[in-house]
Amino acid sequence: MDLYSGKTALVTGATRGVGRTIAEHFLDNGADVIGFARGEASLTSPAYRHIEVDLADPMAIQKAFLGLHGKVAGIHIVVNNAAVLTSQYAMIMPPAAAQAMVNVNLLAPFIVSREAAKFMRKTKWGRIINIGSMAASLEPIGDSVYAATKAGLSTLANVMAKEFGAMNVTCNTLGITAIDSDMLAQLPRDKIEAIIAALPVPRFATAEDILNVIDFFASEASGYITAQTVFLGGVN
Amino acid sequence: MAGAAGRRDEVLAIIFEALESLNQELEPDERVEIGPATPLFGADAKLDSLSLVSVIVDVETALTVKWDAPISLTDDRAMSREISPFDDVGALTDYILELLQEISPA
Repeated sequence: MDLYSGKTALVTGATRGVGRTIAEHFLDNGADVIGFARGEASLTSPAYRHIEVDLADPMAIQKAFLGLHGKVAGIHIVVNNAAVLTSQYAMIMPPAAAQAMVNVNLLAPFIVSREAAKFMRKTKWGRIINIGSMAASLEPIGDSVYAATKAGLSTLANVMAKEFGAMNVTCNTLGITAIDSDMLAQLPRDKIEAIIAALPVPRFATAEDILNVIDFFASEASGYITAQTVFLGGVN
Repeated sequence: MAGAAGRRDEVLAIIFEALESLNQELEPDERVEIGPATPLFGADAKLDSLSLVSVIVDVETALTVKWDAPISLTDDRAMSREISPFDDVGALTDYILELLQEISPA
């Protein structure tokens, strides 16, 4: 039997980068997948349902969930992956860019998790996984708001772990390091390489590194693992 | 669409179903009596805070699906009222009817 047979996973930011990789992994292993993203679908599979939604807009997210009632049997796994990044010195960071990071990186995971939890409480089973970042720990110059939102994701998961624990729903955070993606391409390569060189495991992350921890958090056997943040590459 | 009386019955049925669902999760001695006067919040209520949240979520979801519009029972407006909509089933019913009147007049 496939690893995720009978499970429905919701992945935000599923059209590209890490989100697409995770969504494909769930599909390849037997899950039905719901993708939330601003753009058009980039995955084609009978088991994939794409919903175009602006994750910066809480009302739009709620409407997207409203459309799922009666159409899906349940939502078992959530991966809050979508994020936006503007790296800039705080004194010249545009407020709109800061607001966008708060909305997409922190408020959207809150709304998605709370709406998905309403499905999970019916089945008394759920796995909520937030995609965090090494920035939360390394606190690089220019990433004041981005790092704060990613640190906030861990706190969000930890509180929700308490609220949802009785429903057999776990909430954890995976703090990823740098992986080649559109988001990474926005940053100076030399800056990223300097950060990577200082890690205990001085290399970029691979898809396998990320999927390994996703599978761990999402597994049936991880029901006793909640309110945890796992960083890749030796970040702590 | 149902008239005012019919709509009240529909809302009451949704709240009763949420309480029934809650009772199925509770031990026999913890179960709540179900009726229009059932206290939901306060000293007389048998529900703890998590049970009340469960009922609110079930009622919100059922209303949202039935009326095809997001309905929030716990926004600032509800929380700032002098008489809480969560005092008992009757108060919650009145509050929901008020919200529904705004999105879909009976």
